[in-house]
Amino acid sequence: MTSQPRAFFTLDLGSATTSAALVGHVGGRWRLIAHTSAPSSLDVEGVLVSLLSRVELADPELLAELAGGERPIVAALAATWPRLEARTTPQRRIAVLAGSRRQRRRLEEAALRAGWLVSGGSADEMDLVALSRMVLSTRTSAVLLGSDRSPAGDERRHLPDLAALAAAAKQLRPELTVILAGGAAAFESTFAGATDTGPGPELSSDPPRELTAVVSEAAVRATEATDPVVAAQPEASAPPEDAEPGAEVTTWVADVPAPDDKLEGQSKATPDAPPVADLAAAPVLAAARDSAVFPSEVDRGVSPQILLAPDAGAGEPAGASLQQVLEGLRALPNDSRLGIARSIGSLAYVLDRTVEVVEIGLQGGLRARSEPIGGGHSAVVSSHACFADASFSPADPSEEVIDSVFAWSTTALDRHRLTDRLHDLRFMPWGDADGDGAVFRLAAAKAACSRLVDATPELTAHPMPDLMVAAGGIFASIPPSVVALALADLGRRPGVGQLVCDQARLLGPLGAVEDEAERRRLLANLADDILIPLGCLVLPAGVKSGRTAGKLRLQGTDPISEIELHPGAIQVIDLSPGRTARADFEFRDTVRLGTRGHHFSVDVGGGLCGLLVDLRDIPLRMSDRAESRRAALDAWQRGMWPGVDE
Amino acid sequence: MSVVERRSGPDFASALAHVATRRILVFSPTIHFRLSPGDRALVAPGDSVSTGTPIAERTPDAESVDAGRLDIEAASGKNGGAARAGRPTQDAGTSALWREGRLEAGEILPEKRSQMATKVGPWPSGTARHERRRPPEPGKWWVGGGERRGKSGKNRPVPRVGGTLLFEKQGRWRAAAGEHHQIVESPVAGIVREARNSVEVTIEAAGAAIPGAIAAGEPSRGYLDVPRLTDGELWASALDVGRAGAIVVAGSRISAQAISRARAMSIRGLIAGSVGQGELRDLEASELRQKASLAPSVPFGLIALDGHQRRPIATPVLALLAALSGREVAIVTDPPLLIFDVSEVPLPELPPDWIRVRSGIHAGREGRLLDTAGLYRFRSGVHLEAAIVRFVDETDTTILPFADLERFIF
Repeated sequence: MTSQPRAFFTLDLGSATTSAALVGHVGGRWRLIAHTSAPSSLDVEGVLVSLLSRVELADPELLAELAGGERPIVAALAATWPRLEARTTPQRRIAVLAGSRRQRRRLEEAALRAGWLVSGGSADEMDLVALSRMVLSTRTSAVLLGSDRSPAGDERRHLPDLAALAAAAKQLRPELTVILAGGAAAFESTFAGATDTGPGPELSSDPPRELTAVVSEAAVRATEATDPVVAAQPEASAPPEDAEPGAEVTTWVADVPAPDDKLEGQSKATPDAPPVADLAAAPVLAAARDSAVFPSEVDRGVSPQILLAPDAGAGEPAGASLQQVLEGLRALPNDSRLGIARSIGSLAYVLDRTVEVVEIGLQGGLRARSEPIGGGHSAVVSSHACFADASFSPADPSEEVIDSVFAWSTTALDRHRLTDRLHDLRFMPWGDADGDGAVFRLAAAKAACSRLVDATPELTAHPMPDLMVAAGGIFASIPPSVVALALADLGRRPGVGQLVCDQARLLGPLGAVEDEAERRRLLANLADDILIPLGCLVLPAGVKSGRTAGKLRLQGTDPISEIELHPGAIQVIDLSPGRTARADFEFRDTVRLGTRGHHFSVDVGGGLCGLLVDLRDIPLRMSDRAESRRAALDAWQRGMWPGVDE
Repeated sequence: MSVVERRSGPDFASALAHVATRRILVFSPTIHFRLSPGDRALVAPGDSVSTGTPIAERTPDAESVDAGRLDIEAASGKNGGAARAGRPTQDAGTSALWREGRLEAGEILPEKRSQMATKVGPWPSGTARHERRRPPEPGKWWVGGGERRGKSGKNRPVPRVGGTLLFEKQGRWRAAAGEHHQIVESPVAGIVREARNSVEVTIEAAGAAIPGAIAAGEPSRGYLDVPRLTDGELWASALDVGRAGAIVVAGSRISAQAISRARAMSIRGLIAGSVGQGELRDLEASELRQKASLAPSVPFGLIALDGHQRRPIATPVLALLAALSGREVAIVTDPPLLIFDVSEVPLPELPPDWIRVRSGIHAGREGRLLDTAGLYRFRSGVHLEAAIVRFVDETDTTILPFADLERFIF
């Protein structure tokens, strides 16, 4: 009889990269044992075998212990150990139909924030043939027809035509999913004939788990108070019983145990809590087994249904309710991007810190924020947005995308050459990753990040988070100091925050653990292992130009460092990972660093990059002239990336 | 660097497993022809098509047209009395040009049709007559007169329009219809898997295909011409009228000048290692101008085998193309494929450790994989899994990221 394995794999199956990690139960807690990344074109089994072979080579006793005391056979372990999987949902296109330009823009914004590629058209701008062409294109997976709850005259007169057009399209393409938002739901009867022609074959044979034939508006409303991530997969978890019907939509309050049994991270151990191993092992392994079921359903398209959804103004902020419905429709059950958003919520609770994540991938990007609130920080408020356009190499880059890559590029390229390189990066996301290629990838990643930041002003309006996480395969191949610089360049809010990187890409798969308490326990164990500390960022606002901005005295290092601060520069002070220090700032002028003042004393943590004191402008001001801009970016980058010229 | 070459054993197999594989040949590929509102399929699922068979009819200038109350017309015998005659009302044109619904299944049709037809084509032979009698529904073919577009027929010939029905509202139908139509011929032989008016025609092609990375232009067919390349390139001046009707292998990159010249010389297509985005944009603009002029032109297709940045064509692919030289091939744009229906393809022999660099500063070079080098620090301080490679005609070895390599399989 074999004993229970005390290890499992996590797999983040991205479009460009397959990331595999081995998590084992060692010394009474879950630890990250090893991790690796490979191009997604390679066989997953081969990647796992390679990972285990390295563990065996480095520490055969550890592998034997994880295998339950048996003599480990790597191939057998790779095949039998449970897997916790998350995967990137392929990009999908939605056609947005509206009666007016104003309404179209609102609907498009909700769809874009839900991660869809969007083709939009309104009856007052485009003719019916053009709208039909958009809807009947085989690249379109769903149609969103929407209006205000009580449509005004400008859109009301067009709605019958648009509803008839959508119904006809549904009849021609039964595989289309149609969403009727707001007042357009009144035209549901128009689709009776369209659905009579028969649903798509997958619907009739295997109805999707998360969607019934018609989701009534009332049902959508009922989910408004729940976690948008959970609501995206209603089968995954029931809404919290204590959820208030009137609660905000994109912000959700997680269910929380009593403060005294609150699970705490490394800084807050609960002595009476049962051993994590006993609590966590079985459910986690069960979750891992469950996630292995998903791949059989992965290739399903968007379910061919007629859905009724709230209008584009519902929710807080406006459009959040519709975004939630559209996100649930787009994403696969174990979508890694939504998994990251879920994990960030758990992490914020476990670490009792505000956490923000920026994830950039080939199919899009994610920005999410979670903040503990309430008495004793017993609840967590989370919000997030996914954007297909925040891919580091969008499938069909617009002129704006090219411009944004130009703006962050430190090498002189003509426009055609840059466009060609960006397209080739999509063909071969792992290709040309060193030398010039690495510099170009950084520019593409920063451009994607800037698009993501621009698209989420409501998150930018919050203060700097305690913990800023960089995630996604593109950051894994770039030196850590440059990732830290990218985060400093893009998240420009005054404050002090720790910069970390999800190098092993565990946040997505851990988000596939359905039970919130289990996920928290796992993250409490693993947070130190999975989040690679890049450094601590100190970003004061209001630093005036001049010869000196003031002085920094770093206590806790030996000897005590005293450093002069220079306006307009980004200064790096060596502080290794795991070390903490007290930084006393004495500014010449009044600056804003949380509060306004001259003197600040803050606790800072170390990282691979150290302590970053960023005395550049907020927002970052650079010349409009391409050459000057490139020179400024290059100077900052060169300081953080010594090997860039090799 | 001295490296012992290992071309067998489990370690070498594991090293090869790190290299991305590229399939040179795919068999019986499925190809798509996207249709728009106003376009109709001329074939039905299950039909066999051969090269040149009309498979669809496009309406490039389709506009939204009020088709009227089709059910009432059918009952009252309006619109040519088609309903009383047992013909579908929406197919009931009165002009001799509009033969829709009047052909019998066995009627012999002209074998060759011009690329730019100005009349509605017939239903394909074998289409069941009851299919043509279906009640009006979205996507169904419809033919109507100019009066429906608000044009008076007084003192001038009434233009007739044809297209597909869009939708019905309060008993009245709207259609996407136009005066001009183009026949789309199948560039390959195969079996129709899906055919939906206004949506697409899908064909499972007979034969084999070389996959490409990018395709542009239109599906086309011609004999394969593999001229002598100079440093992997074909000079634009080599594209002369003697190559009319050919699909020409143009080397590592296609220039805008070569594309213009090839089109002017009635060349059917170009094949290259790469093509820039700027050249693709020029080609698209040129095609739009051509369509706007309504002047008939031969279809021209373009296929790039690797991507946008300059790379020579891989030698195994070039060897395969050379073996196919002079035979009929077809360029298909969705997905990008070069299709040929040769039953026996002379495949080049490749050593198992033969690799090609697909990106980076050595892009396009070929050689042999010797061993793995583990995690290696490359330029700019980037750490990647590395391979030890010996390029052709070199004695020294080179260390490259595995992610930059590819190997070929058939």
